[in-house]
Amino acid sequence: MSALLQVSNLSKSYETAGFWFNRKMITALDPISFEIKAHKTLAIVGETGSGKSTLAKLLVGAENPTTGKIKLNGQTLHHGNFKQRCQHIRMIFQDSGTTLNPSLTIHQLLDEPLHLNTDLNEAQRSVLIRETLQKVGLLGDHMSFYPHMFSGGQKQRISLARAIILKPQVIILDEALAALDPSLRSQMVNLLLDLQQQMGLAFILISHNLGIVRHFSDDMMVLCQGQVVEVGKTVEVLSKPEHKYTKKLIMNQRFQLLHK
Amino acid sequence: MNLLDIRNLSIELLSANNPILAVDRVSLTIKEGEVRGLVGESGSGKSLLAQAIIGVLDERWRVDADRFHWRGIDLMRLSIEERKAVISKDVAMIFQEPMACLDPTTTIGEQLEEAVDNEQLSGYFWQKRQQRKLAAAKLLHKVGIKNHELCTKSYPHQLTEALCQRVMIAMALAKRPLLLIADEPTAAMESTNQGQIFRLLASLNQLKNMSILLISHDLENVTHWTNTITVMYSGQFVEAGTTKHIFDQPFHPYTRALVDSSPKANSQIPVKSRLMTLPGSIPILQHLPIGCRLGPRCPRAQKACVQAPKVKNYHGHQVSCHYSLKDSY
Repeated sequence: MSALLQVSNLSKSYETAGFWFNRKMITALDPISFEIKAHKTLAIVGETGSGKSTLAKLLVGAENPTTGKIKLNGQTLHHGNFKQRCQHIRMIFQDSGTTLNPSLTIHQLLDEPLHLNTDLNEAQRSVLIRETLQKVGLLGDHMSFYPHMFSGGQKQRISLARAIILKPQVIILDEALAALDPSLRSQMVNLLLDLQQQMGLAFILISHNLGIVRHFSDDMMVLCQGQVVEVGKTVEVLSKPEHKYTKKLIMNQRFQLLHK
Repeated sequence: MNLLDIRNLSIELLSANNPILAVDRVSLTIKEGEVRGLVGESGSGKSLLAQAIIGVLDERWRVDADRFHWRGIDLMRLSIEERKAVISKDVAMIFQEPMACLDPTTTIGEQLEEAVDNEQLSGYFWQKRQQRKLAAAKLLHKVGIKNHELCTKSYPHQLTEALCQRVMIAMALAKRPLLLIADEPTAAMESTNQGQIFRLLASLNQLKNMSILLISHDLENVTHWTNTITVMYSGQFVEAGTTKHIFDQPFHPYTRALVDSSPKANSQIPVKSRLMTLPGSIPILQHLPIGCRLGPRCPRAQKACVQAPKVKNYHGHQVSCHYSLKDSY
């Protein structure tokens, strides 16, 4: 099976605002290459400022990469061509409460991506929205509700529905599980795993909870200050970390494991 | 001796139609020098309980308790002023979002100096200013901030979240409290910063013999740092006992589910298998089920569960369930 998403030499650096000679380049992400297959999950682990959110932004096209290429199914994705990218790469954010527009109903929220990216007519769109809501464990009648009528876990499900409604191939989860309560988090993990099996999704999971990473991902990549420190199968990296930084990350969470 | 002894504390939200029982007969005791965890999902009333202990709930809330003792003093009988004096002398609280709780318009130094008590300063009035500054710097050193000059001059937005949290802890320590209530001190923090804050709290507990009430929504995060844990669900008492008992042999189905749902605690389950979880989500205040509020989600619920269960005590391990898991171990 060939790779679904291929990233080669992707990097990002910013210019600081300053006068001519004062200008400096800040590298947020050093050149990075990896690939993901369908049905697989890649976890990206690192501290704040390690460039994991920058990587997510580059992948969804919110930022223009300084160098490098992103290929989806062998096709190069160009910056600015959102029609092509929005269909296939979707993202779920950490704070589900603030990413949903409070003045729109769920129907309007989910209708927007369909309206912009597909040629379906209104009736077809409604049917699709109803189906998608049922897929993420909500009712079709929830369509006419507003976001504030839902609890935190349900809002996260709606963001998931918004992500999968265009039948994407890659979903980026930027700390999407961090702010949830434990029982809702395990429900969400189960739901994501089910969807991965049904739809053949590839996930890119950005997280600092190593327990979730261990359970959820196939491969993992450790970032530190914009550089890739360690890559490999999750099981191998977690059982035999080689780099000092990875060891430190694991040690920080190890105390919780030792208790048992 | 028990520092804090609360028996059957209820908190009601007074509304136009009928009062809503947000916290329903919760008991909590804290001994001297103990770290107690208070665990519950969001909306389980744990922050409310903390606010009731401090006494900062406004008149929309009514607090009732069978017993509410602070070091032998009955707080329910004191007037508001007396109570404030007792509590503010010995209890301090740090809040959830340190960035939001610090005043953005004044420097850290000024805010810290404000927190230093006048009684701790000795000397004439012209010496006090200097002493106050020194006391603030000392407090910063205590919480592990070495460069106090830079820190006192900066505004909250110039510091990182972990540093702000340290400043909050320093402010709480200014009164040398006997009990520190930490309301989710590490919410939304990186794991390395979380470790630092927890280690700081643990060292304060050991060196100063300060009791800590550690509030968290995640059982797996606090187990390493606590001696005893109280679990709450939707405003009701669920289970209390030593950390080891709660984690290894939970008696209540809810605690069992919490432990089982954590992939960290169950490293032996196969990768990408389904996690154990309870169906549904925590009920909202307007639609609370009668009796045991876990009822609709509980795998062991039976007819008797429409009556709220009494708390049973097995050698200090308290559980509030009709069909506890005690016999299954």
